Amino acid sequence: MKFKLPFNKKQTPIIVEESIVDGKMITPSKDGFIQQIKDATNNPFDLIIKSIPPNITIIYIDNLVKDQTLNEHIISNLQNKHNETPETIKGALSIPEVDIYGQLEKTIESIIHGSVLIHLDGYPQAVIANITTRESRSLAAPENESQVIGAQVGFNESLSTNISLIRRYIASSDLCNEKFTIGKRTNTSVALLYMNGIANDQMINSLRQRITSLELDALIDSAVLSEMIDDNSLSVFPQMLLTERPDRFCDGLLNGKIGLIVDGSSMAIICPQSFVEFFQSQEDQNLRWHIATFARLLRFTAILLSVFLTPIYVGALTFHYEVIPQAFLVPLSESRALVPFPPVFEALLLEFIIELLREAGARLPTKIGQTIGIVGGIVIGTAAVQAGITSNILLIFVALSALASFTTPSYMMGNVIRLIRFPIIILAGFWGFYGIMLAFCFILIHLLRQSSMGAPYLSPFYPPRLKDMRNSIIRMPIPFTAKRPALTRPTNEEKFDPKPIKPEKS
Amino acid sequence: MKNSIRLSSKDMINAYLLFFVIHSAQVGVGIQGFQRIIYQDAKHDAWISVLVAGLATHIVAFCMIKTLEVYGSNDLYGIQQDIFGIWIGNFLNALYVVYCFIAFFSVLRNYIEVIQAWIFPNLGTWFLSATLLLIIIYAFTGGLRVVVGVSFFSVILALWIFPMLIFPMKFSSSEALFPILETNLSSIFKGAQSMTFTIIGFEILNVIYPFIKEKKKVKKYVHLGLLATTIIYLSVMMVSITYYSEGKLLKTIWATLTLFSFISFPFMERFEFVAVCFWMLIILPNLCLYLWAAYRGTIRLVKISGTKFVWIFSLLIFIGTLIVQTRTQINSINTHFGQIAFYIVFIYPIFLFMITMLKKKITSRKG
Repeated sequence: MKFKLPFNKKQTPIIVEESIVDGKMITPSKDGFIQQIKDATNNPFDLIIKSIPPNITIIYIDNLVKDQTLNEHIISNLQNKHNETPETIKGALSIPEVDIYGQLEKTIESIIHGSVLIHLDGYPQAVIANITTRESRSLAAPENESQVIGAQVGFNESLSTNISLIRRYIASSDLCNEKFTIGKRTNTSVALLYMNGIANDQMINSLRQRITSLELDALIDSAVLSEMIDDNSLSVFPQMLLTERPDRFCDGLLNGKIGLIVDGSSMAIICPQSFVEFFQSQEDQNLRWHIATFARLLRFTAILLSVFLTPIYVGALTFHYEVIPQAFLVPLSESRALVPFPPVFEALLLEFIIELLREAGARLPTKIGQTIGIVGGIVIGTAAVQAGITSNILLIFVALSALASFTTPSYMMGNVIRLIRFPIIILAGFWGFYGIMLAFCFILIHLLRQSSMGAPYLSPFYPPRLKDMRNSIIRMPIPFTAKRPALTRPTNEEKFDPKPIKPEKS
Repeated sequence: MKNSIRLSSKDMINAYLLFFVIHSAQVGVGIQGFQRIIYQDAKHDAWISVLVAGLATHIVAFCMIKTLEVYGSNDLYGIQQDIFGIWIGNFLNALYVVYCFIAFFSVLRNYIEVIQAWIFPNLGTWFLSATLLLIIIYAFTGGLRVVVGVSFFSVILALWIFPMLIFPMKFSSSEALFPILETNLSSIFKGAQSMTFTIIGFEILNVIYPFIKEKKKVKKYVHLGLLATTIIYLSVMMVSITYYSEGKLLKTIWATLTLFSFISFPFMERFEFVAVCFWMLIILPNLCLYLWAAYRGTIRLVKISGTKFVWIFSLLIFIGTLIVQTRTQINSINTHFGQIAFYIVFIYPIFLFMITMLKKKITSRKG
């Protein structure tokens, strides 16, 4: 983890005031216990305290527990019965997760997470029954990573739902699931998932260490976590994949990658991830290899176009007229005849408008968003050309590169593609093709310097791994990709025995 | 043996990457205009000179590898210290660092000259040299892994330029090559010697050797890399001789770029504008590798951190590019540097090889 900014050096770790509950034990008396809980939880109005005669008190937080279970399995079991010790209560309850704690701290922690406290007057212990329920939306299709062929289900914000989705894809005892709590104030649950026997132990350890050494006040979304535990947080390129597709997540796990799911976030983190893999879609696995290869090549062309097309236009028009073929020079000069600005300003203006439309479309409600798209595309585009602010041809180029940038399956990477275009346009405006080449070399070196969980970012191209290249910007038929990528340094390399399953020709 | 370099396998590179390192270190600014210089000496048999020079690189590389193998895991700097003692050895090391410095400088200055001559006559030398140096500093501070990565991508991404030679081939006549061996042998050898400036770069092997994982495979990939370079030079030379008329070639300074100038596609004309800019990627490994080699030598002499070294080095180069301004100056630097490099790259390794073998015999007799 390289998140060492100069101004971070003197920062002291976040100190949460030690609360009154530390190290205390539960008071045996009924009133004392109630007061203790009230003090520790700051007496919220949804704290429900209910006495069950003769000697039992039930305390829980409303909306966090399942009402039906509470009624049927706890209250009805305890009512009108003489319970002597906490152990007998534990035996009497017909729910699976029941514990007995004496420490106040643990008791408070569990009531916050949705347990019911059952206190027996005169005993310094409390029985804790976990019957948590959390509000969460129902499963829906993944909107940001939609596919034509493939599963139509995405993660939602509930950790337990997400894990059950994954367990449905991978019904194996090798699927390891470790729980961490991050955030001093939010106490967010984070699950670390990997396949035992496939994932590299060293990599798991280093990720585990990065998570535990993280000192955060609050963790609201997994995107924050992924930025904090990246190899190089200062780079514009993301080094971990955020996905909302369970099938993509599971495919990663099965290839020896490590996954992280944050409670309350619908995006799961997958690492290590190489640069090329950001431009792969899970759909590529579901399509025939010819079509998948075509789609991948198309995407790569799109990225190159998206990054370099406008800069080349700017560079060629500002400095290198000679490069433009004669037949093309005439329409180009005609369309630019009325434009009063230099090409670099013209291009920046138009790129700015396109970005503005994209941002407006993303922020507005869907219904209005569509209107904005039409208004922007047709009205502003046509009007700009007629007003003589931009040339027709540049309009095509800019629209093309914007379109191309949206083919990137990962939204995070798509943003990067759109962003790095701007400095290159400016460089091209000042120093022509030399400026473009400078930017190209800089990006190349920058990518070479990056790593994802210590694995080379440009793998499988550098270091060159011919076997992994079979599934990079092309996708060879499945029998040729029977090995797991070396990127993840898997413990077990073989996926399956690559023999054709076809019946033999007799 | 003393001073041998111990490295963890994490810092080492695979032997096959040596192919790219050697090849990319050789191909650089020289190829843009080596035809005229060779042609002056060897006339239309210049391609034989190229072949002879290519053969010489193989022989020298063979000697280099033999010398390095004696020491197991050590570089030229350590070998010199071992053979000549600490004082003379360090003096030679310092000379070699200076050699790397001049090589770096001459590549950079030549490239700046090309850019100014072909595309941006008004762009300041200081600007071009500063931007290129910044890129190189960025690559260098990433360590050897990044430097080798740059070499690798430089070779792979520049592959498409080679087939561009087909365009001028349409207009060439093979009669220009005949009669073969019309020029006398001494002229051909003289031409081969003039190839020095273009063909050097493979001496990086002397420094990078301890960083190779599988030492046994070094031979194979070094020779493959040299062969690839020779083939490219040979084909460029053949095309140039057959394409240009005799008088024209003698007057063309950057014959390869001029070859490109009439290549046209439906979407692009005057290919040399793209080629000159794209050449940045081709000279990048040249510069990075010389810088890295100089650094390896310097840390044998004085204790200095990589970052400090690279900034001092770059500052000196920057000042140098400002001092050397005219075409004649650059040309004379090229010529002199070529002559010195001939002795350092082609003669000295053979000499060193013989001394090493002698020393090995003496010590083994004693032991």
